[in-house]
Amino acid sequence: MAATLKFDEVAVGDQIPPLSKVVRREDVKAYADASGDQNPLHQDDQFARSVGFPGIIAHGMFTMAHVVKAVTDWAGHPGALKSIDVQFRAVVFMDETLVARGEVAAKDEATRRVRLMVWAEVDRGGERVLPIKNSEAEVELA
Amino acid sequence: MPLNQSMKGKEYQPVTVTVEREDVRRFADAIGEDNPLFRDSEAARAAGCAEQLAPPTFVTRMQIMTSAQVVLDRELGLNYALVVHGEQEYDWRRPIVVGEVLSTVPRIADIYSKKSNEYLVIEAEIKDARGETVVIGRTTLISRGTGEG
Repeated sequence: MAATLKFDEVAVGDQIPPLSKVVRREDVKAYADASGDQNPLHQDDQFARSVGFPGIIAHGMFTMAHVVKAVTDWAGHPGALKSIDVQFRAVVFMDETLVARGEVAAKDEATRRVRLMVWAEVDRGGERVLPIKNSEAEVELA
Repeated sequence: MPLNQSMKGKEYQPVTVTVEREDVRRFADAIGEDNPLFRDSEAARAAGCAEQLAPPTFVTRMQIMTSAQVVLDRELGLNYALVVHGEQEYDWRRPIVVGEVLSTVPRIADIYSKKSNEYLVIEAEIKDARGETVVIGRTTLISRGTGEG
């Protein structure tokens, strides 16, 4: 159960392939049911408006799962992912396009582990918003 | 109202779950994860795994059950309307496998104040039936405006 990507094929500064998806209301509802997080902020527009948002927002953990997928797709195996630490810094609205990104920040020869800076971006009317930023993942490569 | 600092270190009721195939499939669908390792035992075995795997963030399902106990603890004094999820950390020792039984004793790892906000750190070390650690989750909730600053 290991990565397919080889440690020696990766260099500091390499970007992982960006992973995009449009956030749909039905996906967020499916995530609420699958995760058990039934907070109305993610399902009820009227409630979301009552706390100052224009409509429902995606779960932070929904966005995090997308970032994790970008990392494990790049490494070639979910078991390659050793740790992640994400900071939630902005909300994501419905029908926005979420882009997960990462960049190799450091390599450790002894453990064959690579530290990635990871983040998630949304283009909100020309403004680049980062729902996840200043975050890191550690991956063990082949 | 500030959080009750004396709750630091408090342990909650153990949470035990069986990783059900159907729950894993629903979770994979919800996050758009199409990797066959999460969908098919045969594909997982062909790739050298003992069984079908759960996506790494499937652990969130268990973490939400554990956090609920803490968030609803009246003694802690958390006003959920003021809470945002600030940070999430996971430390995996191995992938989660379909059919296994996982359990954890959630605890309040830290409560601290920074500027006008308070930070509540909930830690859950999730173990398998043999007592070995599978993944450690650390959730930081921000209680807006209840700090001293």
